[in-house]
Amino acid sequence: MEKMILDNNIPLVSKENKNTPRHALCFYFKIIEPEKKAGVYTLLNRLFLQGTKKRDAHTLAQELDENAIECYSEMKQDFIRFKLLCLNEDFEKGLDILSDIIKNSTLNDFEKEVIKLKGEIQAELDEPKTLAMDAYYSHIFKNHSYGHTYTNILKDIDYITKNDVMSAYQSLLEKSPKVISLVGDFGGEDVKGLLKKYFSDIKNCSDCEIKNDVAELEASETVKVAKDDASQAQIMQGWRVPTIFAKDYAPLMVMNTLLGSSGLSSRLFLELRDKKGLAYVVRSTYEIYDHSALFNVYIATEPKNIKTSLEGFKVELDKVKQIPVSDTELENAKNNLLGKRLFFSETNLQQASLMAYYEDKGLGADFEQEFNRMVKAVTVEDIQRVANAYITDKYVLTVLAPQQYLKEI
Amino acid sequence: MENIVKKEINYPYLTRPVEIYERENGHKIVLAHKEGGLVNVSSWVKTGSINETDENNGISHFLEHLMFKGTHKHKAGYFDKTLEAKGAIVNAATWKDYTFYYVTLPEGPDKAYLKEAIELHADMMLDPVIPEDEIGPAFKLGDDNVSQKRERHVVIEEIRMRQDQPWTRVYNSTNFNMYTKHPYKRDVIGFPETIASIPRETILNYYKTHYTPNNITTVIAGDFNHEQVLELVCKNFDFQGRENFNNPKHELDTPVSESKYIELKGKINTGFVITGWLGPVASDLKENIALEIVNVILGEGQSSRLYQNLIEKATTPVFNVVTTDFYNFKDGGNFFVQANYKADKKELALELIKKEMTNFLDGDMTEREFNKARKKLKARFAESAETVSDIAENIGYYMTVCDDLDLVEQYPRVLDEITMDEVNQIARKYLALNHSVTTVLLPE
Repeated sequence: MEKMILDNNIPLVSKENKNTPRHALCFYFKIIEPEKKAGVYTLLNRLFLQGTKKRDAHTLAQELDENAIECYSEMKQDFIRFKLLCLNEDFEKGLDILSDIIKNSTLNDFEKEVIKLKGEIQAELDEPKTLAMDAYYSHIFKNHSYGHTYTNILKDIDYITKNDVMSAYQSLLEKSPKVISLVGDFGGEDVKGLLKKYFSDIKNCSDCEIKNDVAELEASETVKVAKDDASQAQIMQGWRVPTIFAKDYAPLMVMNTLLGSSGLSSRLFLELRDKKGLAYVVRSTYEIYDHSALFNVYIATEPKNIKTSLEGFKVELDKVKQIPVSDTELENAKNNLLGKRLFFSETNLQQASLMAYYEDKGLGADFEQEFNRMVKAVTVEDIQRVANAYITDKYVLTVLAPQQYLKEI
Repeated sequence: MENIVKKEINYPYLTRPVEIYERENGHKIVLAHKEGGLVNVSSWVKTGSINETDENNGISHFLEHLMFKGTHKHKAGYFDKTLEAKGAIVNAATWKDYTFYYVTLPEGPDKAYLKEAIELHADMMLDPVIPEDEIGPAFKLGDDNVSQKRERHVVIEEIRMRQDQPWTRVYNSTNFNMYTKHPYKRDVIGFPETIASIPRETILNYYKTHYTPNNITTVIAGDFNHEQVLELVCKNFDFQGRENFNNPKHELDTPVSESKYIELKGKINTGFVITGWLGPVASDLKENIALEIVNVILGEGQSSRLYQNLIEKATTPVFNVVTTDFYNFKDGGNFFVQANYKADKKELALELIKKEMTNFLDGDMTEREFNKARKKLKARFAESAETVSDIAENIGYYMTVCDDLDLVEQYPRVLDEITMDEVNQIARKYLALNHSVTTVLLPE
């Protein structure tokens, strides 16, 4: 892995993987000015593929497809990232298109994109699981841009102007800290020269700082969503927990693994699925954002099992708080967590993505080595300590089910 | 040493040929080389809903769940726990023509994890106990007094999950109505009533009938010594003289002669529609490639016809989503147009889809569209050569559904040689409007 700083101050992290047919590049733009109206960055993100000063939307889509180049942007809570993936021989062509999208998007199709987005959101919200998750995130991140879910976008979208989106675009280009990562078989190709050629006129703002604090949860909240024809209840319970920069990051990762994300052998899977037959899907997740993080437990179950499932969650969470995990279980969880990293970073794109993710967070593109060390150092006491510290009575519980089953919650 | 027949195939974008070994008993072993520290171990069984009836519909998938419930050597949970503690992703999937089981994990020091994965995987494939207490007692649906809720309930929850997905409801209806008698008409997962009551004996017999040497292909992908791994697989896959079974041949279904229309209702806010056609058998490479080309042109990505004409260029919004899909199956694939539309625009939505299909069948494909589709399909091979899981899946598919890995080697050539005229002819052969089945799901 190599790191260099381009002339315009943008860090470039790269890695050469011989005998791989496709180059993968990621370009991160940190969101420095959080949106005030839900949907501004979502619209901007969509408009990036809707035409530039040189290419209209159709030409853009056609040129990408004709060259089998995958080039798209993704909007997450803290950043917008562009991904470019193409056969080695088409790399320069890909860079040409990507730089055009980044620098010259016109946003001309604003009105059309608003209509399209509304329609797509309505279609998505016809899925009960999406509806339940929407309610969950909009409550656990109430009054914060992290809680700008589909339903909130639908509320705000008619008040968003093209100017709002244009300012977000300008802010991204001028004020955002940026990172580029590249992985592929370069075969002597002057990749740095090429990146300079296409991106040296983009400003970096490495010292631009963002204020986007998330207020603490005051108390627990139960959110009920009635869906009378649902065959399954969708249940999600979650807590705000420290994020990747905290000393408890690694213990939380390990706790999450053993509780509900190691696959078929996690506690929730064994107890609630294998032994009680309550669900097909039951799991825990640890979701990382820059200014907060969530620890969630999720189950989809027959509506009459809601109470049993919530009790099941409580038993498992209490167990991890009250009874020290065994050394073997701890070791297994650590090995599962670290071993799976290889699976999730197998392709050039996955590697480029991870490198830029860490670099963007200021942890260094090679943070994975540090992460390994941190995980190995997690102790039995750490697990019990973080469970007690963070799985508290301040949580958000969301239950979607037919009305008659919601009364008893 | 048993007599094993070896064959090599040049797999696009891999640095070494893929090796296929066929043992005397018919068990096939495929070894694929891929650099990197990850390995994939999988076995593909030639059974799925294709071998099911109304009485046992869902048994292939239920058995797939129960295969994880222990062997005579290892109790339930040992397999998952041991391998997941090494960083493995362990899972399985059931579809119309096949059921497959896989482990993807780091190779380990001196390939120790790979060796252990092969041993445990072979043990699971050949010696499942399928214990009664893991299946759980048979019960009557709706009975709230069931005390032992075990795997029957897990599968029923999986069925419930699918009942709540609008796309799945529409797909199942279209799929069911496209066929007259072929077993493909049934939903792979089956019905809760069957899963609640099917006896262990029936499941065990189904296993014994279908999990035979000639019906199983084992694929190992990664960076390892081929001779040693071949020996290890042969040693661990000891079928102990298990008798072979040849799947019965099913008569291919003929498409409906008049287009068929089904309307469903649900508590939703938008409309969903899926129109489907019966396609060519999977082993006919040229015809499958032709429909893959049509799929890219009509409905894949933002440059596709349907997206451009029905969403981008729409003067008044009708569609929220519109795509196409093409599935390859042994006894004939399926081509689908799927769309989500504004609930009050049903008639117009159906009319517009029909018009787009008619224009295409009239032969208005451009050379530019044709070349784009070919380039995309070529790049897909590069993509599927990037991970051990994708390589193994592709190999498993060709070995199981097409009985022939040579098709992988031929694919780039056939793709290069196919002409626009041929694609148009094949599209007309399969995608005529009178041969289509349409299901819509509307708000109540």
